[in-house]
Amino acid sequence: MTAPAFNAPAGWPTRRAVPGRRFGWLLVTPALAMFAANCIFPLVYAVLISFQHYQMLIPVPPRFAGLANYVAIFSDPLFWSSLKVTLWFLAGVIFLQFPAGFALALLLDRLPKRADLAATVLLIPTIIAPSVVAFQWIQLYNYQFGPINFLLGLAGIARPTWTGSPSLALPSLMVVDFWEWTPFIMLLLLAGLRALPTDIIEAARVDGSSAWQVTLRMRLPLLRPVIGIAAVLRVLMSFKLFDIIYVLTAGGPGAATENLAYFTYIQAFRYFNLGYASALAILQLILVIVLAKALLALTRQSGRQVLPA
Amino acid sequence: MTDLSHLDRRSLLRLGGLAAGGVGLGLAGPGVITPTRAAAAEVSVECDAGQNENPFLWKSAELQSHFGISPHMVGLPFVGQYEKLVTDLTARSAVYDVLVFPPYFLGDFVQLGFLRELDPYFHLLDPKLADYLPVYRDPVIKRNGKTYALMFDGDLLQVAYRSDLFGDPEEQKNFKAKYNHDLAPPTTWDEYMQVAEFFHRPPKLYGTAFYAQRGFCYAWFINIFAGFGGQWFGKDMKPAIDSDAGVRALALLVEMKKYAPPNILQIDYPTLNEIFLNGSTAIVVQWDDLALKVENPAMSKVVGKGGFAPCPVRSYMPYSRVMAVSAFSKNPDKAYQLASYMQQPEVSATYVYDPDCGQDPYRFSQLNVADVKNHLGKPTMSEAAAKSYVDAIGAGLKAGYPELSIPGAPRYIDLLDLYVNQALAGSLPPKAALGACANEWESITEAYGRKTQQAAYDAWIASFRAVGLQY
Repeated sequence: MTAPAFNAPAGWPTRRAVPGRRFGWLLVTPALAMFAANCIFPLVYAVLISFQHYQMLIPVPPRFAGLANYVAIFSDPLFWSSLKVTLWFLAGVIFLQFPAGFALALLLDRLPKRADLAATVLLIPTIIAPSVVAFQWIQLYNYQFGPINFLLGLAGIARPTWTGSPSLALPSLMVVDFWEWTPFIMLLLLAGLRALPTDIIEAARVDGSSAWQVTLRMRLPLLRPVIGIAAVLRVLMSFKLFDIIYVLTAGGPGAATENLAYFTYIQAFRYFNLGYASALAILQLILVIVLAKALLALTRQSGRQVLPA
Repeated sequence: MTDLSHLDRRSLLRLGGLAAGGVGLGLAGPGVITPTRAAAAEVSVECDAGQNENPFLWKSAELQSHFGISPHMVGLPFVGQYEKLVTDLTARSAVYDVLVFPPYFLGDFVQLGFLRELDPYFHLLDPKLADYLPVYRDPVIKRNGKTYALMFDGDLLQVAYRSDLFGDPEEQKNFKAKYNHDLAPPTTWDEYMQVAEFFHRPPKLYGTAFYAQRGFCYAWFINIFAGFGGQWFGKDMKPAIDSDAGVRALALLVEMKKYAPPNILQIDYPTLNEIFLNGSTAIVVQWDDLALKVENPAMSKVVGKGGFAPCPVRSYMPYSRVMAVSAFSKNPDKAYQLASYMQQPEVSATYVYDPDCGQDPYRFSQLNVADVKNHLGKPTMSEAAAKSYVDAIGAGLKAGYPELSIPGAPRYIDLLDLYVNQALAGSLPPKAALGACANEWESITEAYGRKTQQAAYDAWIASFRAVGLQY
């Protein structure tokens, strides 16, 4: 569809004649230069070295490698296991945190008083530094002296080795992430709920819709754009998850909690295998863009469907 | 509150200047008044944070009075030290003067030009290298015939066992009836497993425990691998880690989990100390400083109940610490003086037997039962325990198995650790884990250049064969 042409009223300054346009560009230039230096250049540089054999610790100059780094990644079992860990973690984020965050948001939305205070208290885990969160959970998960195992012991249940068991380590990390970030989702969804048009919801209630129907068929569809944004943010954050893994499990036991970010860190900063690590980073970037696009496409059909024409 | 509204801008500026000057003089005061402090040159010492910084702090006053040096400690995390140092030194940062690190970094650091050769500085303070135990001299501190580091900590794995249990006549009788030989510190890995099995009485007493967490579990594997006659590399630098000796050693380590606490995959250095010190384990292999902690009532519930012996067959020498002078130090003379002073025989003897630090003996003169004291000169063990401990160190070093120290060693070792941990976690069987590790090692060797690596490996082997270590 072509946009209708805009005809400026007589007497308005023309585009060429807008005063101070050059000065405006001059003002924006430092910001643009900073953006180019800090965002564009590193990205382009990363793309370039992803096509090179570049190992910083080996006194051999970098040389062109074509797609060798990418081919090597796809034949590396550690890449596949770290991708699997990343996707499992992501599934946990989407399928556990969103229902819980939505339930909390609904609860707070209905609280007549003190909702803001409750929201603030619930948000405390989100504002604590992730490394501090990880140290807290080291104590909580401690096999011998941790309060969780102490309580399980009182109940006569065998004490699990939370982060020391290959089958429990990843779910244990998911629990930490759930504790830390579910309130963030709650906050976004609560803001979304409060911005919903009240008239159509009231109309639906007058028409005899139950609370459950209103929630499922009206609020949830209307919240789609907010859910989309929250989902994209959490996908981005989950892909970047590093600090909690570094402190709590160091990727172990074995490679049970080594996600793509941690695997890339090891390649880049422990082995200084920069070409390979850059290729990994570029692949992650592509993966995140694809996932974010897919999520936004899913939520693009906004709540307008339910709104009266 | 003082009303300043009557002051004009100029007066306010003057007042502000006077106040700032006063604060500045106050801060600078002690330096101006005390000439020794003003003259002291600050030397930054990088070290893994925690107990290993203590010897520098204990000797701070002596360093200041003898050399006018004030050590400024820069603590780095134990895990992550390598990447931090490489990142900083690649950027030619002068933030460190003295570097304290494990010798397996040395191959990379020398090749990358991060360190100063120390021989030209020897005239400033003789390091008395003739007193070094040979295993810690040429193989550890030298590369290509040049000295790049001085010792700070001579690490060695050692067996610590509960002497009260081993000395109990009832236990001895039952053990002999079951295994047909006397209950004694094990000299083979089969005997070690028998002891672990015999004393495995959970949840009060576990047969054994070991460092099984990712990070250093490879060392407990290599300790057994060495005893089975394993070697790091074979002909043409082909990895020998997946040899029969390797697969047997890893299978044995995996089997050892049966006699260990359920949280074995979470056990690291402090946890391993803790479960021996609280009396819940009969026998462990641990770095040799555990012995000092066993005899310290503030740390241990098993004071007087610890026996110490070399590891079965060979004793692996993982980690250790050396001191080197950064190539980018602006004050190399003072940095060298600090490093050299800290390892002088009479200075180092005051901390290598102190339970409040992690340093262990590396000089002939330190293998002296009378020196088993803390840095204040107070004995840290009974004479009998001290004798058992010092004898175990001496015997262990005679059959020491050195840690790989060629270019790329941190990467070879990190990958080995990952795959050993995968086997311990049950994600891969031992043979598959070591096979995968060998493949990764091949790619590292290829990347560095097979001939270059072969030459470095041959030179490294020759250096410890020359001091009488078998390989």
